[in-house]
This record gives sequence, structure tokens and C-alpha cells, in this order.
Amino acid sequence: MTEVSIEKLTKDYGQGPAVNSISIKIAEGEFISLLGPSGCGKTTTLKMIAGFEDATEGAIRFDGRDVVHMPVEKRDIGMVFQNYALFPHMTVEKNLAFGLEMRKTPKDEIRTRIAKVLDMVQLTGYSERYPRQLSGGQQQRVALARALVIEPKILLLDEPLANLDAKLREEMRVFIRDLQRRVGITTVYVTHDQAEAMTMSDRVVVMFGGRIAQIGTPSDIYERPANLEVAEFVGQVNIIRGKVGNRVVSTAFGDVPVSGDFADGAELMLALRPEAVELLPVNSGATGASAKVLSSYYSGSLVDYRLELAGGTVVNVQTFPRTRFADGDEVLVHAPADRFWPLGSAA
Amino acid sequence: MSKPFFTVYCLIIYAFLLAPIAVVVIASFNAGAFLTFPPQGLSFRWYVVFFNNEVFMRAIRTSLWIAALTMVISGIIGTMAAMFYVTHAGKLKETVRVAMLAPLLLPEVLTAISLLFFVYSVGLGTQNLVGMIVGHVLITLPFVFINVSASMESYDPAWSLAAQSLGAGRFTRFRRIMLPLIKPGVIGGCLFAFIISFDIFTISFMLKGVGMSTLPIQLFDYLRTNFTPEAAAVSTCSIVLTMAVVVISEKVLGLRIHRF
Repeated sequence: MTEVSIEKLTKDYGQGPAVNSISIKIAEGEFISLLGPSGCGKTTTLKMIAGFEDATEGAIRFDGRDVVHMPVEKRDIGMVFQNYALFPHMTVEKNLAFGLEMRKTPKDEIRTRIAKVLDMVQLTGYSERYPRQLSGGQQQRVALARALVIEPKILLLDEPLANLDAKLREEMRVFIRDLQRRVGITTVYVTHDQAEAMTMSDRVVVMFGGRIAQIGTPSDIYERPANLEVAEFVGQVNIIRGKVGNRVVSTAFGDVPVSGDFADGAELMLALRPEAVELLPVNSGATGASAKVLSSYYSGSLVDYRLELAGGTVVNVQTFPRTRFADGDEVLVHAPADRFWPLGSAA
Repeated sequence: MSKPFFTVYCLIIYAFLLAPIAVVVIASFNAGAFLTFPPQGLSFRWYVVFFNNEVFMRAIRTSLWIAALTMVISGIIGTMAAMFYVTHAGKLKETVRVAMLAPLLLPEVLTAISLLFFVYSVGLGTQNLVGMIVGHVLITLPFVFINVSASMESYDPAWSLAAQSLGAGRFTRFRRIMLPLIKPGVIGGCLFAFIISFDIFTISFMLKGVGMSTLPIQLFDYLRTNFTPEAAAVSTCSIVLTMAVVVISEKVLGLRIHRF
């Protein structure tokens, strides 16, 4: 197992930095996702870790050893590409053997290791097939097996699920995560899909414009976003504005206590996730702000409402369809104070 | 166009293209003393004359030898040029393509004359095969280039990257991944180079040394003074030889294209 340390890594193609002085410490066996919109520098960062791109500045250390000037083929990485990049003229077995042959592994050991890895990705019996004879999901698993069979220092995945259909994608998420836990390999996963990053990772690195916006566990990122950009990129969010006064923000939901240093009189933005809000009938006797249902979308397990609060604030609320409200209904809304997260002063 | 009409149309085109060849082949079995069509009786006598004609046999050996060398040199340079063109040329892509195809666009006789001046001015002369092979490579290079770059277009650069991530160095990546996948283009290009080199007249004529000759030159020389069916026999043999090269390399090396 390998610890990866990225220090002040920068890539500049000549039109301003694509990756701007980022630092990440990845623990042994950790699963890290690089998450961000296209062009945020996440793929460039992965390519620099793999060695396909030179770093303009900074260091990449595998267990303390700087690999910046080491060619790709010497870095001992396992990489899974977006389109799998299986060698089309080789059978599954030959694809898997390739990396081991490069390492001059004895023939009988190659055979046992291929059998083991095929069992691991549940493709025993497929060794004589050519990639074109496999489904997308199977090709994906062969690509994973090919990267893992060489027992690399780190596993790098570049949007590996992007070409699969929705159902298979969810299965593969769980599959990859389980496999990574069993093997215990340090993993860097690049994706623009926040659901993938949240469900699979130990920690998520959110990137915008070549910089790291936030590093944290999935719940850190979701519940305690570092700024407005992160809050809006990861999941749905309501931005509630209010004035600070005496350690309390007065909002359309009522007064919300905030911890942290905010000057009295400043206008503050609070993040409120749609599922943190409770909807109650007006006659329930509960306390809460009154609101009117503008529209609702039923999706089976959940209902999404659009509500208008007094003063014209519109919020999105997601609830279980236990009690249903119709468009135009008056309701009470309530959100626990600890579900409001301050994002900083409103500009 | 309706289907039967189209079939007939294709047959007419093929007949038009292949009729001269058929005429030559049939005329070569002529028993008479002159090159006539239809032949006067069937016989192999002109083949016997041809095989015993040391001048023709030497010309064929020279032609095969030059074609083989041309194929190898053109194959290597053309493949390298195509790899550069597809993966590294960047902004220069169009320039590289035009430069590579230039020998096709210039009249062969101009290329031949320029080469003749060139080989003398660099002191190479025409007493060895070097000048002639340079000329043949020049003419056949575009065919290798076109074939290889076409098969490179369907080559996914990620395959090389994957091989590299698995620990393969530059040479291994080429030998084990890229070459097998662009093989149909390379073999096709090399075959073109061989056949075209075997057939080149103008360049060979300008750059040949005294007393040296290739099959097309020898044939032309022969027809200036003789008009026997031996010429048809020589042509038939060269047609069979070229086709044999194509068929054998397809069987042995495989032109099968990998479908992805």
C-alpha cells in the first residue's frame, strides 16, 4: 500500500494554469475522488499522477519518493480509462497477462494471478473472449482486472462509468468500491458525477478552475460546504439570506443561531438542503413559518415541492410522500437550526 | 438505378478494364511467330523461349530485387511518416500530408530528371542501384503513407497509454500493440510499393546504369525490334508474379482487419 502526497502541483499549458498549486495528501488504502465540472483540472491532475502529463511545478510523492520525473511505465500504476482501452487484438487473458509479462513474471504465476483476478471481477470463464465479444459492463470489469492484476502502487480511474447506462452504473459503483476495500489499494477516482463521488469515496476533492475548493468526507462536502459554489455543485440547495444580529440570523424561517464570527448587520447566506425541511399541515399546531405550495413533483419514493414563503422566498423541499399536499395548499415549514450552514457574507 | 442494370453496368466496366489483360494472356499462348490476336493455334513455345532468354531472366531478377528493397525501405519510412502525421503533426498536419503526396502530383518524368541531376551532383552516379532505389522509394512512399495513415485513424491513442501504464516501453508498445493493429494498412501499403516499383518505367529508365535493365525497360527494348508473342509471355508472367505476391502475403501475413 502506498501513501500519495501531492504538493503545490501546477500545470500550465501557456494560457494560465489548468491546475493551480494544489496539495492533497492521500493515505494508504484511501479512496479519493476528484470531483468538478469539465475543465476544472481534475483529469489533468490524474494524468500528472499517472505521468501522462508533465507537472509544470510541484511534487508528486509515492511513499515519500518524488515521481515527477519518472516515466509512466516505471511508476507502477494501474489505470482504468474512460473507454476502457482494452487491446482489441488480444483475448481477455492476453490483456490481463500484458502487464505481468512486462514485469517478467513467470508463466505459471501469470496463470494463477489471472485466474485469481478473473474470479475477483466475476469473469471466470471469459478468458478466451475478445473485448468486442463482451458487454460494456464486462469490458469495464476486464479493464479493472487488468489494472489490478499487476498489483500496482495506486489505482487511477478516469470517469470509468461514464459510458455505462444508469442501472449498470449504480451496480458498478458498489462493485468498484467493494473491490477497492478488499484489495486495500490507494485509489484516485476522477468524476464529474457528484453521486458517484459521494457514494464511493472516503474523501472528496472538489475542484473549480484548477483550484481545490474543498477536501472532505462526503458528509463534510454535503452538509458543511466550504462555499456557495461547492454547495450548489453537490446536490440541490436552497440559499437562505438573512441579516446577522446578536449571533442570530433572521430569515424567512425565523431566527437561526449561527456559530462563527459574523459582524452584526452583515447579510449572510445560509445553505439549507431540501430534505432538511419538514412540511406540516397548517392545523397541526406545530411551530413553523407558513408557506404556499407552488408545484410538486412525485417520483415514487420522494416528492419534490416548490414552496413560497412569506416575503417571496422560494424554497425547494424534498419529503417522503407520507402526507401529500396539493398545489396551492397552505403549509407550515420547519427546519432544525443545525441544518442551516453559513456560507459567508452575501456579495 | 435498378439492380440488374447496375450489375450489367459493373460487368461492362470490369470487361473494359480487364479485356487488355485477357488479350495479352491469350496472345502469349500463340503458336505463330508474330504477336497477333486471336492467336494462331495454342502453344507454350514462347514461354520456353522466354525462360531460356538470359537477358529477360536477369531483368526480372533485377526488378524483383529492386521491388523488394523498395518495399522494405518505403514501408519503414512511410509507416513512420504516417505515425508522425496522425499523432504528432499538430498544426503541420496538412503540410506534412501534401509533402508526402507530392511525388504523386508531380509528373514522374520531372522527378526522374531532377533525380538524375541530383545523383550526379552528389557524386553517386548511376553505376549502382542506390539512385534508382531512391527514385522508387520516392514514388511508392505516398501509397504506404496513405494506407498506414488510414488504418492509424481507427487506432485509439488510449491503447498506447494503457500499455504504457502497464509498464511497456516505447518499442514494446509499438511492436505488441500498435503494429498488430495497423498491420492491414502496413501490409497493404507494402504490397502497393512492391507492385508499383515492379512496374515503374520512367524513373528506372533515367536512373539505370549502362547495361543494367529492369523488366519494363527490357520489355520496351525488346518490342522496339521484335514483335513475337514472347513479349506477351513476359507480360503474363509478370502479371502472375504480381498476383502471387498479393495472394501469398494475404495468406501468410493476413490482411484480416480487426473489427472493434
